[in-house]
Amino acid sequence: MTSMQKGSSILGASVSRRRLLVGAGTAIAAASLFSPAVAKGGEVKIISNLGGAEQRAVLARVAAAYEAKTGVKVVINNMDHEAHKTAIRSYLAVGAPDICFWFSGNRMKTFVVRDMFDDISDLVAREGLADKLGVTLSAVTVDGKQYGLPMAGILWGLFYRKDVFAEKGWAPPKTYAEMLALGQSARSAGMAPMAMGTKELWPTGGFFDHLNLRINGLDKHMALMEGKVAYTDPMLKPVFDTWEELIKADFFSPNGSSFGWEQAGAMLAQKKAALMDLGGFVQSAFPKEERDQIAYAPFPELVSGMARYEDFSVNSIHIPKKAANKEGARDFLAFFYAPENLGDFIEAEGGIPPRNDCPPSKDALVNTAVEELKKVKGTAQYYDRDTDPDMAQEGMKGFQEFTIKPERREQILARLEKTRARVFK
Amino acid sequence: MYPRPIPEESPRARLFYMAGVALVLLLWLLPLCAVMLTSIKSTEEIMAGAYWTWPQRFSLIDNYTAVFTQTAMARFFLNSLIITVPSVILVLILSTLTGFVLARYRFPGNWLVFALFVGGNFLPAQIMMIPVRDLMVSLGLYDTFWALIIFHTAFQTGFATLFMRNFISALPDELFQAARAEGASPAQTLIHVVAPLMRPALAALAILTFTFVWNDYFWAVVLTQSDTVKPVTAGLNNLRGEWTSAWNIVAAATIVVAIPPVTMFFLMQRHFIAGLTMGAVKG
Amino acid sequence: MTSVWRRQLRRISPFLFILPGALLFGTVILLACVETVYISFHDWDGMGAMRWIGFGNYAELIADPQFYVSLKNNLIWLALFMLAPPLGLALALLVNQQIAGMRIVKSLFFMPLVLASVTVGLVFGWVYDPNFGLLALIVQAFGGEPPALLSDENTVTYAIVLAGLWPQVAFCMVLFLAGLNNLSSDLIGAGRVDGARGLAMFRHVVLPQLTQVSFIALAVSVIGALRSFDMIAVMTAGGPFGSSTVLAYQMYEQSIFSYRFGYGAAIATVLFVIMAAFITWYLLMMNRMERRG
Repeated sequence: MTSMQKGSSILGASVSRRRLLVGAGTAIAAASLFSPAVAKGGEVKIISNLGGAEQRAVLARVAAAYEAKTGVKVVINNMDHEAHKTAIRSYLAVGAPDICFWFSGNRMKTFVVRDMFDDISDLVAREGLADKLGVTLSAVTVDGKQYGLPMAGILWGLFYRKDVFAEKGWAPPKTYAEMLALGQSARSAGMAPMAMGTKELWPTGGFFDHLNLRINGLDKHMALMEGKVAYTDPMLKPVFDTWEELIKADFFSPNGSSFGWEQAGAMLAQKKAALMDLGGFVQSAFPKEERDQIAYAPFPELVSGMARYEDFSVNSIHIPKKAANKEGARDFLAFFYAPENLGDFIEAEGGIPPRNDCPPSKDALVNTAVEELKKVKGTAQYYDRDTDPDMAQEGMKGFQEFTIKPERREQILARLEKTRARVFK
Repeated sequence: MYPRPIPEESPRARLFYMAGVALVLLLWLLPLCAVMLTSIKSTEEIMAGAYWTWPQRFSLIDNYTAVFTQTAMARFFLNSLIITVPSVILVLILSTLTGFVLARYRFPGNWLVFALFVGGNFLPAQIMMIPVRDLMVSLGLYDTFWALIIFHTAFQTGFATLFMRNFISALPDELFQAARAEGASPAQTLIHVVAPLMRPALAALAILTFTFVWNDYFWAVVLTQSDTVKPVTAGLNNLRGEWTSAWNIVAAATIVVAIPPVTMFFLMQRHFIAGLTMGAVKG
Repeated sequence: MTSVWRRQLRRISPFLFILPGALLFGTVILLACVETVYISFHDWDGMGAMRWIGFGNYAELIADPQFYVSLKNNLIWLALFMLAPPLGLALALLVNQQIAGMRIVKSLFFMPLVLASVTVGLVFGWVYDPNFGLLALIVQAFGGEPPALLSDENTVTYAIVLAGLWPQVAFCMVLFLAGLNNLSSDLIGAGRVDGARGLAMFRHVVLPQLTQVSFIALAVSVIGALRSFDMIAVMTAGGPFGSSTVLAYQMYEQSIFSYRFGYGAAIATVLFVIMAAFITWYLLMMNRMERRG
């Protein structure tokens, strides 16, 4: 029983240390558990899912300005982008903040039909936003009523480094043949033709979208998203044929499923890959001083004569139905949505501003995207924003499997079809 | 002593032995060393893709300062303490009581109660996600410190009860017979007979519980949403999202998160082994 | 009067002692488990109304290929985690010496035990990275092609299990160190007098005394294998294409990403049943061991 003696001989020291720890802990707990949190003049509570430090800084600045102007306290809670997708379903039901960030389109509608977002048509009318928002208004409208305000728009497409393309004498591909040829040159230059990190699955959904939009067009694509077309439909054959051909030509960075988009972005930044299929936020993978090297090009044409349709996803901001301070939330939103404030906020993300009276962007990528958007005939949002979440999860998983094991195409599509039949019954 | 002690009079054997141990230790901690190395590298090197090479410029101060000044980690750190310390104390109290009763009193259902404690503890906690969230919501505790304190206390009490019961039933019967002969009440027996012997076991249990609660990530995400309540593990994951390519900052934050359990462990290491010896491992 | 009262108090005080813990554990943990079983008979998206569908979720589960992938991975986790006790014992034997500085060395060996599984997952994610990872670097140094362990459906689970074993071996090592501390020096001495050495000594004198601690190491390893959730979430999120999911992760994924709480609850219930078998075995073993002495 030597251990027992060992234990008790030094007991004195351990107890006092423990007491100290306990004492400190209780004091801290008492101080913070019971301190009053609500300031005079009410408060507006916001939950944000913003990833970028710059964006958070702009939001904090706007909130501080609003506090100074009105005396109303603005409390901002930042959540991890992915964790927030889970948490929103809890907090909309209980413990709702006054304002939250989310995504427009089908993802917003999920909560609208469950009566969890407040109808803010009054705010839209009062601020006269209908004229200033243009197309993005429809992304937050259900049955003629607005349930949120559109935030940054992301135009998806190909991104590359100007210096690399200039040095190698490459041009962004306009056709499928050029795409394959570029792939060949990139590989012989020791680079991956396209960086793609699918650990978080969604990049596969985007790539599928872009193939399908180029091959089958917007209407058929949306029919698939809404569950009206089978995944075993012959219309998808050329889509997967093309994809398979690219995979077999080693078009994508190897081992894509072991890393996320950030690392894929880093490959582009470090000149290890020629292209990347993403949104303007790819710039966050670049060091600040190299961001002016990033250039955008539309996804190449695959079927000649097909009109140009793109993925254009729009984030949004909402007032939960169960918010405690709906009036305060409206007032803050009006302030936040003023062109200068909104402009700063969107600029920090490299997104496309939803209102047409925001100050012009200093970001060349954004201006390109704004110009490009004018040439687009119609837009979808993104695979996992357009289709049912359950379907999206299975779908993207299937696409990921396809990128690794293209020979399993039949099984994968049969499985997706089974899911579609279950989800859209 | 087993294995046979390496004799003191043979310095060469000792040297040989220590070198061998050092080698194994190095391999054993290689991943951790690599993270420490990353945590002192400059952002430029990381951006350039030099992850595992020896740093050209040391940014130890910069990176660790960034963790505390440019992120809310300090706040999360405090939150974690506010959640962990009361949970550990409550677990120790409750499990001493339950363990004592289950070890020393025969009553109908004793075995069943014990089996339920043990059984509940073996279940993967994710199973309880939805009902626990709903429960906290209906109690009005969702997104407060109490939600996490109550859940962790309840869940850890399962394992702790198993531990304390084993420990107390390993104590010699004579102690309790003597106490009974002197007419001591159960409370007196607990306080005067059991408690003094139990301190090393409590130390061991405290370290384990502290580690489990401090390191929890899952419930942090399920039961909290505000920055004022969120513990440090959830904060670490926020950081991963926010500093996507800044491995050095994330690595530094990772090290920072590990400091309290490691410190706690080093401070109480001797009691830990002693406590396990008595609690989990009957002599 | 007072003595009657005191006798009453004495009789009910064990009950009073056990009440707070039992109540808390019962309402939070056990009730939650029961409720999960109840939810598993419903079609529910976590927000709207619940619709009773009887065994519908279970019928679907039996036909779900993903379920069998998860089940298989759970078994791999369990099987490989059985390596933790012997490895922990080996390390414990290595460092169980009283030499200046050994205490620090032991503490360093325990380090992985106190790290958050989020941290361990993060660290090993970096180690396995096929482009920049430590493993890739080492393999390249020997002229090999760096393997992408986490994107190959055949290796991914093993790679995560290896990461999971790291803290688990440390835990077992701590337990065995405690066990070695407690060996009867009389028996060891007697063994040495009888000329027992090496393997014979270990098998016939040391191991029998470590039965109890081995049993506990085994039990914590089973629990550890079931706590695989965090590691999988951080390292692969179940990928590639669901090939590294275990039942706990599949349940989480179905509930959270696919909004199918009923189906998720059904998976949880199956896991519950599997565990019940193990728990029963564990309790029986414990009971038997206690009756023996």
